[in-house]
Amino acid sequence: MAIRVNPSYIDVLDKFGAEDVQLCYQCGDCSTVCSHADDIFKFPRKSMRQLQMGLEEKIETSLEPWLCYYCGQCSEQCPREADPGETMMSLRRWLISRYDITGIADKFFKSKTSEIITVSLIAVLAGVYLMFYGFSGGSLQVYDGEGAFLPSSFIHSFDLIVGGIMFLFLWIGALRMWYFTMVKGFSIPVPWWLYFKKLYEIPFQFLTQKRYAECENNGESKLYMPWLIHFGLAMGYTFMIVLIMVFVEPLQAGPEIRWSVHIFGYLATIGLLAGCIYFIRQRILKTKHVQYKKTHSTDWMFVILLIIIVVSGIVQHILHRTGFLEAANITYVIHMMAVVPWLLRMPFSKWAHLIYRPLAMYYAEIQREAVVRQQKLVDPLSITMK
Amino acid sequence: MEKKNDKIGVYVCNCGTNIAKIVDAEAVAKYASTLPNVSLAKTYKYMCSNPGQEMIAEDIKENGLDRVVVAACSPNMHERTFRGALRMAGLNQYMLEMANIREQCSWVHKDRKAATEKAMALVSGAVKRVLKHEALESMSVDMNPSVLVIGGGIAGMTAALEMADAGNFVHLIEKDDHLGGNIARVDLTAPYYYSARDLLTDRITRTREHKNIQVYLNSKLTELSGFIGNFAAKIKHLNGKPESETKAKEVAIGNVAVCTGYKEFDASRITHYGYGKLPNVITSFELESMLKEGKVETKEGNIPKYVAIIHCVGSRNKEFHTYCSRVCCMTALKYAHEIKSANPKCYVSDVYIDMNAFGKGHEDFYKQSSQAKTLFLMYDKENRPVIHKAGPKDDCEMLIEVHERLSGEHIEIPADLVVLMVGMEAREDSHEIAHLTNISQDKDGWFIESHPKLEPVATTTDGVFIAGTCVAPKDIPDTVAQARAAAARILARISKGKIEVDAVYAEVNEDLCSGCRICNVMCPYSAIEFDEENKKSHVISALCKSCGVCVAACPSGAIKGRHFTDQQVLAQIEGIFNKAEYAETAEAT
Repeated sequence: MAIRVNPSYIDVLDKFGAEDVQLCYQCGDCSTVCSHADDIFKFPRKSMRQLQMGLEEKIETSLEPWLCYYCGQCSEQCPREADPGETMMSLRRWLISRYDITGIADKFFKSKTSEIITVSLIAVLAGVYLMFYGFSGGSLQVYDGEGAFLPSSFIHSFDLIVGGIMFLFLWIGALRMWYFTMVKGFSIPVPWWLYFKKLYEIPFQFLTQKRYAECENNGESKLYMPWLIHFGLAMGYTFMIVLIMVFVEPLQAGPEIRWSVHIFGYLATIGLLAGCIYFIRQRILKTKHVQYKKTHSTDWMFVILLIIIVVSGIVQHILHRTGFLEAANITYVIHMMAVVPWLLRMPFSKWAHLIYRPLAMYYAEIQREAVVRQQKLVDPLSITMK
Repeated sequence: MEKKNDKIGVYVCNCGTNIAKIVDAEAVAKYASTLPNVSLAKTYKYMCSNPGQEMIAEDIKENGLDRVVVAACSPNMHERTFRGALRMAGLNQYMLEMANIREQCSWVHKDRKAATEKAMALVSGAVKRVLKHEALESMSVDMNPSVLVIGGGIAGMTAALEMADAGNFVHLIEKDDHLGGNIARVDLTAPYYYSARDLLTDRITRTREHKNIQVYLNSKLTELSGFIGNFAAKIKHLNGKPESETKAKEVAIGNVAVCTGYKEFDASRITHYGYGKLPNVITSFELESMLKEGKVETKEGNIPKYVAIIHCVGSRNKEFHTYCSRVCCMTALKYAHEIKSANPKCYVSDVYIDMNAFGKGHEDFYKQSSQAKTLFLMYDKENRPVIHKAGPKDDCEMLIEVHERLSGEHIEIPADLVVLMVGMEAREDSHEIAHLTNISQDKDGWFIESHPKLEPVATTTDGVFIAGTCVAPKDIPDTVAQARAAAARILARISKGKIEVDAVYAEVNEDLCSGCRICNVMCPYSAIEFDEENKKSHVISALCKSCGVCVAACPSGAIKGRHFTDQQVLAQIEGIFNKAEYAETAEAT
């Protein structure tokens, strides 16, 4: 059966950031320079081609976009300035919109206004609700304990509900991803035990981000900054989510500082703050690294929300410990007004890659072994892979 | 004529190491000096160099040499050079014979001893032959400054204007009722979007109004006789009437420029494209006329959403033409641009084999087409696309099925309008022109240049030049360049006033000629006329290329090839087979 080409699809991907993909003439320089492309996962060239031709189903079922960390080497090498790195980024955005069952991600990526309105609305609703709750049961002068404006037990439950919604959508997305990539798009039989054998890949890739470190170092510095920053940000993110989901009560209690919990809070704050400053600086200066030359509107939304969260969190922490309880409560509300949309937005934004990327590495390893098994069965002499 | 005591000088060239590496040049020279009549034999590193030539000239003067043998490369390479050396010394230039000991000896042999022996044999043959050489004189003929240009396209008009501006009278024949040729059918040109109309109008007006140009519309050449400098052409003005009813006008000219152009490939010959059956499958020229009218529409009057352009229709194909038509790639990109800019909601798929973007500005133009979001799909030469009607559920009218090479997928491309990039082919009447003007055609019908690299506009018939797309497919800049080149070649000859004709040609001994006319038919250059009064054949020396066919064919032995007489050839053979003589010497050395 012939596959239908869709020449108009290129206009859809435009909105996700793949503006220059049609410039590609398939020389393959990008795949040659890429540290991660190999015999089985041939990107960016192949992905570029599928995108040019509008082969939706092929891209939807591919793992390749997730295997790219956007070091930018391909875009620097491209003789036609087709920006393969940015195309892979755009494909990740597009895949997130595909994994998302609600259509919200698609809307956000395509329309800046709809995202701003939705995020603002959620922030205002969260603010109004928290103010309403605070004034109905407590006093603005009390920060913790009896008659507190926002009791830690309430915040804990509130966090769990918001986080629960986030994880629900994230896991629906993950399930769809599995269906697309492992069932719909992969015809070679996968024995069930392979899923267990390769399971270690998920925590391993998540915790080390080893593949990012394997990206070509441009020789700029000994410590590859993008990897370090990305690692710091990802870890800060993870720590913070664990803290607010599990340890929010001891974290909020005060005024004394519980170092057993707070040390993690401080570390996570440093990671997030450093990441934020680095990204904002790169995005504004648009220097050196090609990956910051183009910034999608959704990228800015993430950075803005994060910087509000981090700054308001620090201010609120200081106000609380120095006894300005009224101001601390108000700052807390502001902090939460950013936290709620930030958490809820995650499954519908680029930051869902927190889940999708380690999963993709895991699936990729399974597929790789399945292919080798198949080749051994068909023709034991044909194995040429590393 | 041969004299018993004529002195011969033999010069053996080393050609650097080209000859000396395999052939013992010293031994050859030593052997040559033992041959009868040879008064001196020398070797030199590069005989064709100035010191080499001077050495020969000085020897002729000082030692009174009568004849010279140069054992070196092919006469094709340096016979002219050494003839010059002979003239320099005041000797008739035909008193030279070359022994080819490079191309036919050192380059093709490995055994030094055997190669040396062969070189000696060749030299021995040359020495015997040169004794039979006769002093010949070249002749010169007057050049008629008028020129005939066949074809009123961009090439014909350019050549005509160039020569007319230089003050020569030009007869320009065009078979259509207007000037302009194929470009008159084009809207814009690639890659700079110059309007084809703008390119032409100025030229057409100037051509029609030029006092030195006579334009014959609706006319054709019916006869061309004579030779370089003195042709007579018969032109018939047809204007709808059959050829037999019209009277020919005869003009006298000195040179001919053939600029008859091309015709486009007939797309209906390829059945799987459905041209002529599917209403919205059109050729590139049909799209040109749509673009000229300013609207690209389907036959039903709708604006197409998907346009597909298929390259290499009739070109690069074993069944039709194996060559590349050169202009279609850029023209296709031009269409992609024009269609997209006229209607941004329209999506253009460009279905190609290879993108031949060889010319100035072409690669940039290709990149611009990518920027304009043209979808490029590559197909395989051996696996051509097939067009069929789409189903009722599809959002397009047709589907093009093809194996796409860059993705490796078997795909179908939606299309509402399909443009076939028809290639160029030789005109159906090109063989008539070729026959009239006595030029050759290749297997595809294109006219053949006398040298594909060094003589791109000359033909094997002196005084007949070719330019533009009648030679091979080419774009406008190349066509104009060729037209100007042909004009320049003709002007150079006109300004010389006279034309030198080589003294080497065939001669009919009228006393022996029986008037059988076998030679008239055999001559590949139409150089032999038949004198009806005397019933004898006669060679037009200016047209003769001294190929020798008539000499061999004449049953009465009445034709002699000057400089290639029976005596000369036999003497050479005798020299070569005079084995005992050289074998003994070789053993002694």
